[in-house]
Amino acid sequence: MNKNLMNVYGVDASKMKGTPLDVFLPETIDEVKRIVTTNKRICIRGGATGLAGGAVPENNVDVILDMSKLDKISNLSGEHRLVEIEAGVILDDLREYLYEFGLEFPVKPSSHMVCTIGGMIATDAVGNRAIKYGKTSHWIKWVEVIDCNGKLERKGITELSDYAGLEGITGVIVRACLKLSSVKTRTASLVKVGDLDDIVATVREYKRNTSVSMIEFLDKGISKKIGLEDTYHLIIEYEDDSGKFKGRDYDKLLAKRDEVYPLIASDGFVRIEDPKIMLDKFPKLMRWLEDRKIPTFGHIGVGIIHPCFDYNQEKCIPEMMKVVKRLGGAISGEHGIGILKKAFVEFNDKKILENVKKRTDTLSKFNMGKVI
Amino acid sequence: MVTKTTKPIPSKTDKIEAGNLMEEVAEIFENCIQCGMCKSICPVFKILKEERVSARGHAILLSKKILDKALFECTLCKACEQKCPLDLKICDAVRKGREALVLKGKGLKSNEEMITNIRKTGNPFGKNIGDNPEKLYCC
Repeated sequence: MNKNLMNVYGVDASKMKGTPLDVFLPETIDEVKRIVTTNKRICIRGGATGLAGGAVPENNVDVILDMSKLDKISNLSGEHRLVEIEAGVILDDLREYLYEFGLEFPVKPSSHMVCTIGGMIATDAVGNRAIKYGKTSHWIKWVEVIDCNGKLERKGITELSDYAGLEGITGVIVRACLKLSSVKTRTASLVKVGDLDDIVATVREYKRNTSVSMIEFLDKGISKKIGLEDTYHLIIEYEDDSGKFKGRDYDKLLAKRDEVYPLIASDGFVRIEDPKIMLDKFPKLMRWLEDRKIPTFGHIGVGIIHPCFDYNQEKCIPEMMKVVKRLGGAISGEHGIGILKKAFVEFNDKKILENVKKRTDTLSKFNMGKVI
Repeated sequence: MVTKTTKPIPSKTDKIEAGNLMEEVAEIFENCIQCGMCKSICPVFKILKEERVSARGHAILLSKKILDKALFECTLCKACEQKCPLDLKICDAVRKGREALVLKGKGLKSNEEMITNIRKTGNPFGKNIGDNPEKLYCC
């Protein structure tokens, strides 16, 4: 590929930059095998919507393996609610395909329009509906992976933890068999909450309702930015008719929610984090963030929040990570570690990851310099 | 009949104008956060599945003031602008990028041929195709 055009493949949504040595766009699994066997260092790329630099290559060292052209959907079984897909299938394309059959893949990150299933498995994406549907790995029957020697292997549920959520450091995910659920009619409500402590009680109450599939939090500033009142808001999604927003109004509300990050990023709050925290500790962390005027939104139903930092506030991130750890939380709930959060990985977690990497990627080929 | 065209040599003014256009284009993408929303609806990306021809691909290149013929693969349909949460004028930027490419003498040969044919015969094919079609004009 022409050197100018390679610049396109050196970035992702994290705004980190790198220059790839070369770029490959395989169309078949055999081509992936060939690329893996003939290259020393490979950076795997899906939709490049990652916010932690997971798809950014190391300067002039990594070749990019863009999985976008591996986009075949096959063997849909309505009876068993299973479908086989290649790693480059875009989530919304899959949803569109399945809709005709009254089925859906229920995990839905905000980047559902662009993200690939391979990337979702690699980061074990969570998404808005995690309170009801959990993580991507909960919806996988098996994955097919190419190891560092170019060998294709099928990994079942027992070995899935070596690949799902490990951000491609252990092998190239090329195909997967996904479990599906039936399409639901969804509605939503917008709830105003005046106080941070009230949010905890309100969220707990909604979580008891089994028809609730999403609880999203917007802080005062963000609510105002998207045209709501200057107070805290919760977006509640129901899988029945209980919500006030139905049909097109529901779609509009959810589209607004999906655009929250790009909107605040345009004000300079580009660096987005994803700490996960227990619900009762949420007010403490929120107060810490509000004192520093850091806009925050997130999937409060599962305790993942997204504080967004501008250039001057970025120095607060290590301090925030300390606060999160002190409160018993995790540094990354869904975006993954990538390059950006490497420094915050606990010593013990790092040791475990290193061992998995040594066992699976014996030639140190995949996504080197990421996660560990 | 296909008319032969010679590659134009860019004058000093053309080079300056192209430079100015590139400044304008880079300014359009100053706030781009590369979220990829534009890519989700790009019809060219939907078919080719190559980031280099997607709206985000153009944005990345143009923000770095890199001009490439990949710009000519955009359909200028403005679908990306509908999706862009920051309302960036992506197609305007692509058009300006193409203008700069032409001013630098790096336009597409086929486009140049079409323009020459229109100037000579009033149609892009360079053939006399009867009285029915209206004549096209080019500056």
